[in-house]
Amino acid sequence: MEKLYDVIVVGAGNAGMVAAANTSKAGLKTLLLEKHNIPGGCATSFRRGRFEFEPSLHELCSVGTAEKPDQVYTIFENLGAKPKWYYETDYLFRAIVKGENGYDVRLKTGVEDFCNSVDAAVPGSKDNVRAFVDLKEKVDAAINYIYATKGNPSGPVMLLKHADFMRVAGHSVEDVMTALSIPEKARNIMCTYWGYLGVPTDELNAMHYLNMLYGYMINGAAMTKHRSHELSLSLIEVIRKHGGEIRFNSKVTEFLYNDDGSVAGVVANGEKLYSKEVISNVIPHNVFNMSQADKIPEQHLKLANAREFGISVATIYLGLDCTREELGLDDYTIFVMSDPNPRIQHDTRTDGGFYIVNCLNKVVPDSSPEGTCTLFFTMPIFGHDVPKDLAPQDYKKYKNELAKKYIEDAEKTLGISIMPHIEEISVATPVTFARYLGTPEGTIYGYKLSGWDNLMARIAGEKDDFTIPGLSFCGGHHVRGDGYSSAYIVGETAANRVIQRLKGDA
Amino acid sequence: MSRPKLWKLNPLKFTKMSPARQAKIEASPAKPLPSLDSYKPNQIANALHPKAQYLKVVKIKDEAGGAKSYYLAPNQEKGTEALAWFSAGQYVSVTLKIGDMTLTRPYSLASSPRESLENIYMITVENVEGGLASQFILNNWKVGTEITTSAPLGNFTYEPLRDAKTVVVLVGGSSITPIRSLALAVADGDEDADLIILYGSRTLEETIFFQDLLNLEEKCERIKVVNIFSEEEREGYEHGFITAELIKKYAPDDEYSLFICGPQVMREFVDKEIETLGLRKKFIRHEVFGEYFGPSKEADYPENVAPSFKVTVRIAGKEQVITASSDISLLRSMEANGISAPARCRSGECGWCHSKLVSGEIYTPKIIDYRREADLIYGYIHPCSSFPLSDLIIEVPPFAE
Repeated sequence: MEKLYDVIVVGAGNAGMVAAANTSKAGLKTLLLEKHNIPGGCATSFRRGRFEFEPSLHELCSVGTAEKPDQVYTIFENLGAKPKWYYETDYLFRAIVKGENGYDVRLKTGVEDFCNSVDAAVPGSKDNVRAFVDLKEKVDAAINYIYATKGNPSGPVMLLKHADFMRVAGHSVEDVMTALSIPEKARNIMCTYWGYLGVPTDELNAMHYLNMLYGYMINGAAMTKHRSHELSLSLIEVIRKHGGEIRFNSKVTEFLYNDDGSVAGVVANGEKLYSKEVISNVIPHNVFNMSQADKIPEQHLKLANAREFGISVATIYLGLDCTREELGLDDYTIFVMSDPNPRIQHDTRTDGGFYIVNCLNKVVPDSSPEGTCTLFFTMPIFGHDVPKDLAPQDYKKYKNELAKKYIEDAEKTLGISIMPHIEEISVATPVTFARYLGTPEGTIYGYKLSGWDNLMARIAGEKDDFTIPGLSFCGGHHVRGDGYSSAYIVGETAANRVIQRLKGDA
Repeated sequence: MSRPKLWKLNPLKFTKMSPARQAKIEASPAKPLPSLDSYKPNQIANALHPKAQYLKVVKIKDEAGGAKSYYLAPNQEKGTEALAWFSAGQYVSVTLKIGDMTLTRPYSLASSPRESLENIYMITVENVEGGLASQFILNNWKVGTEITTSAPLGNFTYEPLRDAKTVVVLVGGSSITPIRSLALAVADGDEDADLIILYGSRTLEETIFFQDLLNLEEKCERIKVVNIFSEEEREGYEHGFITAELIKKYAPDDEYSLFICGPQVMREFVDKEIETLGLRKKFIRHEVFGEYFGPSKEADYPENVAPSFKVTVRIAGKEQVITASSDISLLRSMEANGISAPARCRSGECGWCHSKLVSGEIYTPKIIDYRREADLIYGYIHPCSSFPLSDLIIEVPPFAE
C-alpha cells in the first residue's frame, strides 16, 4: 500500500504541535489533525467582552533567555518559532497558609535568593535547603550518563558514581527533604508547587520535583505576551512554513492497523488517511477505545487499567474593571492553603485546601485593557470530585457556588475587594476540560504520577509500555507527566525518534 | 539544625522501582477500558454540549407580524435522546440546506430552560422580507421536518456574580426571543434577578409575545414589562424610542445591569443614548451583534475599495476560487458560492469560523472584532466579520456539525 503521509500527528496540543513542527521541519510529509477549530488544546485563549483570558498556563518552566537558553527556549528556537517571552523575575511565588500555624512568605527567584527567602521564614534552614537544591547537579550528571547509555546504564556505575541520584530518584520529595534534615516548615514552603504536578510530595518523586523547582528557580516564571494562543500559533506557523498540512475540525474517530499489528493510519471526518507513522497526542485510553480490540497488546491494556487519572482543575477567570494596583495585588502567583501540609492540602482540595491566584498584569501589564486587570484562580481537583448526583441543569449553579466560595476566601485572605469589580467571569471545572480535551474524567494531567508510576519508572518502562509498531505517544499522559514544558519535550522526543526511523542518521 | 543525612536513604530502592511497576501492571486485568460516558465529568459535558442535536418540528404557532414559533423535540431515530439544558439567553446554530448551499443561522431559544427537561425547545423566526434563511424556514418547515442544530451556545446570560440584582432589558422587535426565555427562567426560579423589560416595537399589533409577557408579568412580581411603540400612540403605553430619559424613568435608583438586544440600527441608537447614563462597562451587556452589513460606512474603512475581489478558498486540501463582493462578509460570499464554511454566532464573537488569511488584506469593523491578539500577529481572521480589501487566499476549517 502506498503511504500518503510519512507522519500523521493526532491532536494539536502542546506535544502534538512540537512533534508535527519537528517532523515537517525535517522534511517528512506531515499531517496534523485537530478536532477543534483552533490549535493548542489547553494552550489557547478565549475572549469575553473586552478581555482575552489565559485558560491554563500559570508559568512556563525551564524556558531561560537568549543569553541563557533552557530546554523550552531551545525547542522554540530550533524550530524558528518566535513567541515574545515575558518573565516574572522578582518572586517565584507567595505562599499563604491560613490559620494558627500559618505563614505568608514570598520566595525569591535565583538559587541563592531562594534559599535565603526560605531561611528568612525558617531561620537556620539555609544549608539544608541548599543541600536539596544542590542535588540538581548530581542528578543531571546521572541523567546524562543514562542518556549516553541509551537507557541501559551499568548497575555498578550507577551505584558507585551516582548513588545520590539513586537516593533522590528512588524516593519521595518528603523522604529526601527529611533525610536532608530540612525542618518541617521549610519543607512545606518548598513543596508549595506540588499542585502543578497534582501529586502531594509524600508520593511525588523527588527528582521530578527537584527538576521543576530548579527550572523555576533559575529562570523565573516565563509567559508570552498574548496568552498561550501565541505559543500555539507560533508553532503552527512553523508547520505551515515547512509544508506540513494542518486540518482543524477533523476529529480522529478510528485508528487503523495493518495485519501485522502495526499502525496504518487513522480515520478523520469519515476519511481514511494513511501514514508510515502515527504520533498520538491523544491519551492512550482514548486511542485504545478507537482501535480494533484485537490490535491492542495485553500489556497495554493492563498498564491502562493499572493507572489512575491525573488531577484536573477547577478554574475561575475574572476580568475586573480596576487595575492591579487599585486592587492591591503585588504578586503574580499566590498559593493559598488552609494547612501547611501538602498531603492535607490535597485531601481537603474540594474544601478550599489549596488554590492558586494569578494576576497576569504583574508580568504582562497590558494583557488586559487600560484600567482593568485579570485574575485566574486554579483549584486542583479530580474529575471524580465532581458530585455524583450533579444534574446537568444544576451545573451552572454548582460553578457559581464554587466561584463565590473561592473569590470570597481570596478577598478575606488577601484583604482585597474583588466581587464588585467583576466585569467578566467564566468558570471551568473538570466538566469543561472533559468537553474540550475529551479526556476521561476531564484529566488535564494525563495519568497520575503515583508513587509506582512516577517519572523515573515511566522513563525506564517506556520501551515495554508502548510496543505497537508505528504508533508513538506524546503529551501530558506520557513519560514526563504534565505541564507545558514536559509536553513540549516529549513532543520533540517523539518526533526525533520518528525522524530517526524514517530517515536514519542521514 | 541537623546535618543533611542523605546517605540514610537506600539507593537500591531505585533499582526496585521498575520491577515494582512491572508487578503492579502485571497484576492488573487486561480488560477493555471503560467508555468516556462512564465518567461523571464526561457525562455532564456530553449532556450540556452534544456535538450536534438532531431535532424534529413538533408544533408550529403563528406569532405577530407573520413570525412563527417552532417547537422542537429530539429526533430519537437520529440519535438525540434528550435536549441539552441551556442558560436563558443562549442560542442554537441551525444548519440549513438551501439549494446547493449549506449554511447556519443562530436562533435564540425562546422557551424556558425548564421546558428542555420536557424535551421542548422553541425558536421564533421573524418574517424578514428577502431574508434567505427566514423565508426558507417559514415556507418549508412543517410538523415532522427534521433539523440539525448545535448545542446551546452564547454568553448573553444572567451571571449572578457579575450582574446587578436588577436587570433593565432594552430590546427591540424580534430580538425579544432570548428575553422571553430569561423572563420564564426568572418566573421558574432558575435565575435570581428582577427584570424590567423595555420593549420597543412598531405597534401593539406587531409585538411578538405581547400576551405571553403580559401573562408573565401578572404571574411573577419580579418581572415588569414596558411596551414602547414607535408608530402608534396608545393609552397606558410608551411612545417613541428607547431613550436615556425612558431608561431613567423605569430603572431603579440603585445598581442595575443593562441587557441590550436588538437589530443593528436599534443598537446604534441605544448605545448613544446610554452614554449619558455614566454606567460602568460591567453593567452593560450586549447580545451578539447579528450579521453585520455595510462596512463602508465605518470611519476607518479605506477609500477606493474595488467592488469585488477574487478569493481563493482552501478547505481540507481542496481549493476553490470565488468572486467576493467587498461589502459582503467572506462567510456569506463563501456560502453564496456553495462552500460550506463553519459558522455559529455569525457576529464576529464566537470565533467558530476562525481561519487563516494566507495572503491579502481584509477589513473588520471594530465593533465586531473579537479576534485574539495573537491572531493579528499570525494572520487569522473570522470570515463572518471580515470584508475583502484585495484578492485573498484563505484557509478555512471544514464544516463540522
